[in-house]
Amino acid sequence: MASLTVNGEERQPLDLNRNLLSFIRFELELTGTKYGCGEGLCGACTVLVDGRPLRSCETTVDAVLGSSITTIEGLAGGGDLHPVQQAFVEASAMQCGYCIPGFIMETVGLLSRNPQPSSAQIREALAENMCRCGTYQRIERAVAQAALQMGEARR
Amino acid sequence: MTDVAAIPTEGLRISGRVALGFPPRRNTYTSVAYSNAQPDAETATWLVVRPDSMVTAYAGKVEYGQSIRTGFAMEVADELRLPLDTVEVVLGDTDLTPWDNGTFGSQSTARTGLQLRKAAATAREALVELATSKLDLPASDLVARDGRVSSRRDPSRGVSYGDLVGGELSDREIDDEVVLTAPEDFTVMGQPAQRLDAIARVTGAAVYSQDVIVPGMLHAKIRRSPAYGGKVGSVDVAAVEQLPGVVRVVVDEETVAILAESDEEAEVAGRSLRPRWQEAEDQTSHEVMPQLLKETAHDPAVTQENGSLAEGFALAERTLEATYYVPYVSTVPMEPKAAVARWEDDGRLTLWAGGQRPFGLRAEMAQAFAIDESRVRVIATEVGGGFGTKSYYPVALEAAKLAKEAGRPVRVAYTRADEMTWGNFRPAALIEIKSGFMSDGRIVAWEFNAYHAGPSANIGRRGSDGPYDVPHVKVSVASSDSPLRSGSYRSLGAAVNHFARESHMDEIAADLGMDPVALRLQNLSHPRFRGVLEKAAERFGWTPGVAPSQRGVGCALAFDVGSYAAACFELDVAGAEVNIGRVVLAADCGQIVNPVGVENQVEGAIMMGIGTGLYEAAEFRAGRLLTSSFARYRVPRMVNLPQIEVVLTGDQSLPSTGAGEVGIVPVTAAIANAVFDLTGQRIRELPVQPRLGKSGA
Repeated sequence: MASLTVNGEERQPLDLNRNLLSFIRFELELTGTKYGCGEGLCGACTVLVDGRPLRSCETTVDAVLGSSITTIEGLAGGGDLHPVQQAFVEASAMQCGYCIPGFIMETVGLLSRNPQPSSAQIREALAENMCRCGTYQRIERAVAQAALQMGEARR
Repeated sequence: MTDVAAIPTEGLRISGRVALGFPPRRNTYTSVAYSNAQPDAETATWLVVRPDSMVTAYAGKVEYGQSIRTGFAMEVADELRLPLDTVEVVLGDTDLTPWDNGTFGSQSTARTGLQLRKAAATAREALVELATSKLDLPASDLVARDGRVSSRRDPSRGVSYGDLVGGELSDREIDDEVVLTAPEDFTVMGQPAQRLDAIARVTGAAVYSQDVIVPGMLHAKIRRSPAYGGKVGSVDVAAVEQLPGVVRVVVDEETVAILAESDEEAEVAGRSLRPRWQEAEDQTSHEVMPQLLKETAHDPAVTQENGSLAEGFALAERTLEATYYVPYVSTVPMEPKAAVARWEDDGRLTLWAGGQRPFGLRAEMAQAFAIDESRVRVIATEVGGGFGTKSYYPVALEAAKLAKEAGRPVRVAYTRADEMTWGNFRPAALIEIKSGFMSDGRIVAWEFNAYHAGPSANIGRRGSDGPYDVPHVKVSVASSDSPLRSGSYRSLGAAVNHFARESHMDEIAADLGMDPVALRLQNLSHPRFRGVLEKAAERFGWTPGVAPSQRGVGCALAFDVGSYAAACFELDVAGAEVNIGRVVLAADCGQIVNPVGVENQVEGAIMMGIGTGLYEAAEFRAGRLLTSSFARYRVPRMVNLPQIEVVLTGDQSLPSTGAGEVGIVPVTAAIANAVFDLTGQRIRELPVQPRLGKSGA
């Protein structure tokens, strides 16, 4: 049977043609992944598919069968926040918070392919994520801080 | 989500007057637009000290990014001498919290926070009083600290708040004259604090209106006319009713709603529906707005008058006239509006909504269904951005009507295009200024005529009166027709009026060959205005110069709902793109509860202002919004982020005046002034970027 893994759990989608964001939010009831625009232009719906950030609003379930998906709910392990989540908390990198799960997932993806991004690389990588509250300065700071902490943890 | 919380029935309960939202005044924006909501009780519970020594505070506000939950908790914690994590705050639930007019106008800290401080201080005094008999010690020997009341001389003699309040309920009224903690004794307030709801926001646990799921809920897909004012002509629902998951199709005058078991099934069915629409003819376009604003102007109101314009202009050695135009802009909260409505077995209505006015929605529901307000419970979710547009929340009534029709809970959620199209817009405005001044820089005459679109006169009036010491002034604001739905937007008309006024100040400076900061200071005696301008200039490293100096620097001064601000911008132009490199904004908002919260709000307001300054304009033609997608409506992104420094200059012994809005107010003029300084092009029409290098702006 067609299946995929979400936050470490195997799932069998009922409808393979279903929009992936719809599947995550309303079949799995993991509502931390947000709807923002439905066009892949704001990043609120970003999840990790096999570790890479993907706009779930523009994808159908069958396109990710057999993959391992991580949503914002699956990021913290064993009660501890992921270092990126921790950095967002410490930098007060949030206002309304609606866009923040998407920013965090995009950041996790960025830091896995580029553990020490420059300021310009952070801005470029997060350019397609939108925060209307305008928290960008704190988000950039949080990403830099997360990179630093994850770098230290690897040493 | 569907847990029904209740006010604790044990502990020390502090109650007091309600109606501490934005003051309902006659003939104002709030009373005209929101006259439906009135307090249903004179007093309400504001705070409970529980037997477990925890404290629950209640406020009818909503959390939409301003971190008011944390701000309130800090105020309560300080007055009750408690650590921040022992205070929980219940917001915006019409069954639990004190009545409130709405979360707008930067009033939460100034008014509601003050009432919570009084409630907490009253509780503290009551706890000390209870301890006198429990410990058999005089009040003068007792001190409340860290959740205990104990003897000053022998700290081992003490009793916890929980033990003092015991297992029964006792009531106290808020003592309006209670002595509040002095700023120098704050231990929580004034220090940066981590938000109470930070973890929920980074783990996805925070529940917004789009996230509400209740058992048995149907998902509505609503097809709306592609054009404003369109009506459903004909629609064939039979084929759609047979599609998987579809429960029913409800045809209304302007909408066709498909109710289905899942959002996906509703969406798929909705797409296959082919309604024919009857569209209104001869609808206007954004291009005619400047003329339309002038031609349809009515009910001009004088918002500032001093001396005589004739005398002033006779006195003046030089005069300048200029006209400024600001287009409609979209509000664009990240979360499109959504609501879930459920009719209970006993006929009560429960509504989950992310609106800025839970009690206003309750009144709206009661009126719509002709039931008593006590039969409606509105529960505010986390709100994914509002900025004014969620004071108007039409999805709530749609959900309630459909739920009634279906006999099941119903979720209605706007798409992005719905949010852009059917939300409200900041009104377009045309502003004419004529100024008269002396060669030494003294401004002696100031005539300001503004024409703001839309019927809410107070939107346009806000911020129209100026801060400068001009002897002969007349400021008049008229309302004009509005082809789009106009409504609240951060700072209402203040940011719009300031664009014109503060651009014009720079035009005077350029005409006289004066430094723009020096010109402002010469005409400014109010110490708080001078304070923010001098501080911003100092931190920015402003050096006097005459524009255009080709440095790309610009400044502007601002006032909004009691708060003062001044901004200095530095920018560059590369091709068709304006790059803002650096912003310093000094703000005086009086007493600061949570500096991080204030700085975050101001930084965000600057970014929002940059959007309206450089990119944003809502465009429409033949009843269609042309800018209903992020592909066609540009907002600031992280690559557009300047280095922002916010300096808080307020006197901590002065009352808090709110910080959510003032930051946006000086931004667009500072940008236009910096562009002039860089290029010599004076752009009097927003947004600036598309007009760079073009004549006739």
